[in-house]
Amino acid sequence: MKHATIEKNAALMSILVLIMVAIGGLVEIVPLFFIESTIETVQGIRPYTPLELKGRDLYIREGCYNCHSQMIRPFRDEVERYGHYSLAAESKYDHPFQWGSKRTGPDLARVGGKYSSLWHQEHMRRPRNVVPESVMPDYPWLEENALDYDDIADRMTAMSRIGVPYSEEMIKNAIADLKAQATPDSDTDGLNTRYGNKVPLDDFDGQPKRITELDAMVAYLQMLGTLVDFSSYQAQAR
Amino acid sequence: MADNKKETVKETVETTGHQWDDDEGYPLKEYNNPLPRWWLYTFYATIVWSVIYWILYPAWPLVNDYTRGVLGWSQYSQLEEELAEAREMQKVWDDKLATLSLEQISNDNTLLQYAISGGKAVFGDNCAPCHGSGGVGSHAKGFPALVDDDWLFGGTLADIEESVQNGRTGTMPAHEEKYDGALNAQQVDVLTDYVLSLSGLGHDAQKAVAGKELFEGEAACVVCHGDSGKGSLKDVAFGDPIDRSVGAPDLTDAIWLYGGDRTTIRTSIAKGRTGKMPAWGEGFSGFGRKLDPLSIKEVTLYVHSLGGGR
Repeated sequence: MKHATIEKNAALMSILVLIMVAIGGLVEIVPLFFIESTIETVQGIRPYTPLELKGRDLYIREGCYNCHSQMIRPFRDEVERYGHYSLAAESKYDHPFQWGSKRTGPDLARVGGKYSSLWHQEHMRRPRNVVPESVMPDYPWLEENALDYDDIADRMTAMSRIGVPYSEEMIKNAIADLKAQATPDSDTDGLNTRYGNKVPLDDFDGQPKRITELDAMVAYLQMLGTLVDFSSYQAQAR
Repeated sequence: MADNKKETVKETVETTGHQWDDDEGYPLKEYNNPLPRWWLYTFYATIVWSVIYWILYPAWPLVNDYTRGVLGWSQYSQLEEELAEAREMQKVWDDKLATLSLEQISNDNTLLQYAISGGKAVFGDNCAPCHGSGGVGSHAKGFPALVDDDWLFGGTLADIEESVQNGRTGTMPAHEEKYDGALNAQQVDVLTDYVLSLSGLGHDAQKAVAGKELFEGEAACVVCHGDSGKGSLKDVAFGDPIDRSVGAPDLTDAIWLYGGDRTTIRTSIAKGRTGKMPAWGEGFSGFGRKLDPLSIKEVTLYVHSLGGGR
């Protein structure tokens, strides 16, 4: 085919360009669907509980990803500071993932359980109350706004359509599970049966009688990076 | 038309042979100027290098694997090596730390210095967010200062280790009716005056007398804070059989967890307080980052060095 023919035919050139770009995509992306370290099944990974899912939505709404990454890279300085490097499986139910690439603040991939919920309450209200040198903005409205969870079942249905294994039972009990997780001394048997015994339970916002946005945000932060038990995790061939 | 004009152009430089619109009778041609030699050879060298690189290092994706390269390098094995190297250098010390007791370590000054510098790093990353850099605490927020000699749950090496390992929860119940307590607003007021009087702060003497009665009676403050208000720990020292794990503060020493002004003290009585130190020991169920036994030892020695005593 003469080059002049391609240059003079916009449609033909578009198709050929598309084919060329697709080859690059195929070579770089397709193997990721098959290479062991990106698709390994890891013990302990579970979908977010309804409260954590709401918290994750708030994390995105407030733009936390602009300053915080959730990706511990396999380097000594990062592993010594943050813990085991992140596994692909740990963000398999993240749509979209929150890896990020900007660290104005610290990485949050394993922040779960590192601080008490009390600390998070104070820190969200005014970060400098607990970290004098912090440049993080204040998020005082989180503890004021009641959490709007009417749509939680719909959100979970949406997630299940793109591959998150929420069962019908999980979706049916979404509101009950959400309330149970944020209310101290409540009946959490159902929640634990559906999501496991490691689900963090607390009065996350320090207001036992209310469920606020802060409840959801802190519940999400408190579970980050806690799902995999690294004492029993064996890295596959890499 | 183009053809006869074309023949009149002198072909002094080689062209690519491709030509564009010749409306004016002068077709636009493209000179084929050779690349500078140095550039060309550098380009060839990079091609050769890429082939060498493909052979040595991980490069091409295959169906469900990738070419791993003859050096066997991977970022994961590099990480393992670097970590192993660092551990090897620390091993001489860490082995001693692991086998010796906290008291034995305190008696070996060199080892103690090693443990304290390790503990300082552990503290900075894990404890400082609440207790402040250097353990100064957050007075208004109820995160206790660790640099003084006032301890809620005890300041011996064993007590501190216990606090780090298993965590602590200090609960002051709410006492005012408004917050589901048993006392009315006036009773909370007089109690506040009594608490102020315990550490010699400005108070109404008459109200304090009524407050003392409540303190020892209806409000049952003595159950945790002790008859003298000196707190569970100090009353243990006086032979009073009070559970030291309660962590009730000494109300007479003018050291305040949440602040010592009238409003703050009243709030503490009326609404109650809950302070929670998370458990850092491994093997605790629940969620969270844990510290390995060595780090716990190190941080215990560091905290003890800040203000440990009792």
